[in-house]
Amino acid sequence: MSDLFDAVMLALLLATALAVARARDLVAAVVLFSMYGLTLCLVWQHRGAPDVAITEAAVGAGVTTVLFLIAVARTRREERR
Amino acid sequence: MKGWALALVVVVAATLAIGVQGLPTHDAPEAPIHDHVGARYVERGVEETGMRNLVGAVLLNYRGFDTMVEVVVIFTALAAVLALPRAGSVADAPEALPVSPVVLFVVRLLAPFIALFAIALLFRGHVSPGGGFQAGALFGALFVALGLVLGRRGAARLVPERARPWLQAAAPLTFAAVAALGWALTGSFLGFPQAPELHAVREAMALALEVAIAVGGGVILGSLFQTMEA
Amino acid sequence: MAPFGVDLDYVAVAALFCIGLYMLVAKSNLLKKLLGLNVMETSVFAFIVTSGMVEGGDPPLLVAGAQPPFASPIPQAMVLTGIVVVVSVTAVALSLIVQIYAHYGTLEVDELKERP
Repeated sequence: MSDLFDAVMLALLLATALAVARARDLVAAVVLFSMYGLTLCLVWQHRGAPDVAITEAAVGAGVTTVLFLIAVARTRREERR
Repeated sequence: MKGWALALVVVVAATLAIGVQGLPTHDAPEAPIHDHVGARYVERGVEETGMRNLVGAVLLNYRGFDTMVEVVVIFTALAAVLALPRAGSVADAPEALPVSPVVLFVVRLLAPFIALFAIALLFRGHVSPGGGFQAGALFGALFVALGLVLGRRGAARLVPERARPWLQAAAPLTFAAVAALGWALTGSFLGFPQAPELHAVREAMALALEVAIAVGGGVILGSLFQTMEA
Repeated sequence: MAPFGVDLDYVAVAALFCIGLYMLVAKSNLLKKLLGLNVMETSVFAFIVTSGMVEGGDPPLLVAGAQPPFASPIPQAMVLTGIVVVVSVTAVALSLIVQIYAHYGTLEVDELKERP
């Protein structure tokens, strides 16, 4: 059971990281990055690192995402092909 | 360009693949990371620092210098962001981003609970997951969420104008003060007195650091958001 | 997990690092580069935290009822400070990127190179 959870989470991490790399729309990329951070936070909570998980959820997935979204709003949303 | 990048990534991936072969299995209790100081921290950490959360014990006591310089890093980051000239004029920026009523309601509903959770993390951090850093991160996220729904003027009211620079500098200043006090008491910079009769002083020093990291860290994260958004 | 003698967690972490590195060097958009840098950084954090884990180990909280073995507290404390440093780096970089866009009107590195 635990192994299955780990395997699903690792697959999700790789899938979201690849999706961040592929996304042309920067808002989509930033939101996918937030999803990547939250998945990582779940992994850490599951593996016995609750302190790191709390900080990653608040800062890595929360504050960083908002800062990126502000930057996208002040620049250009589409990545040039 | 793309070809060179791909070649570099392949080389790095191959190197990492070789490196991974030589690593000890991470789940094994006999891995080297669990010997040396790690074993000592687990064995004597509670007795030496008075904290049952060993992560907090390592942050504040054993690796206090790390944490001290780290709060200086985030303070420097805020100083750098504040020093840059503003990209657009503040006047033509809208007072608040348009926010859907659903978001507004959910943030208003959850804000007191997030604040309560952050305070619990701060003051229960020695016996459960949490501590100054985690509480500061949560306070920062709370400031950002409130800043999004309250608009610029509403968010500015959260932290009084006159106290803001002091709160932004709270963590480095408190670290300096506590380190100097430790120097006077123990002869070593940022030392924590171990004598039983100074137990209350040690507790007070640790509490001051935790509160300063939480408040200072939270205010700095909120200020980073406000400065970039303005 | 270690089927075929390979530690899957470390392999996944290495793969994440490579994805981040690819974004950092191959993408020409500055924001995508910064996202790649963030992916690299989190993969390093995942590596450090993973190295301190023990099979069936509890978090390093020595409260009543907690049983050894415990996960090592040192990597977790290091990563906690690291996460906050990363958000500092990201905030400064994003501010600079916004300035660059306001000045040059583009975020693509190859276009920026042609500007005086």
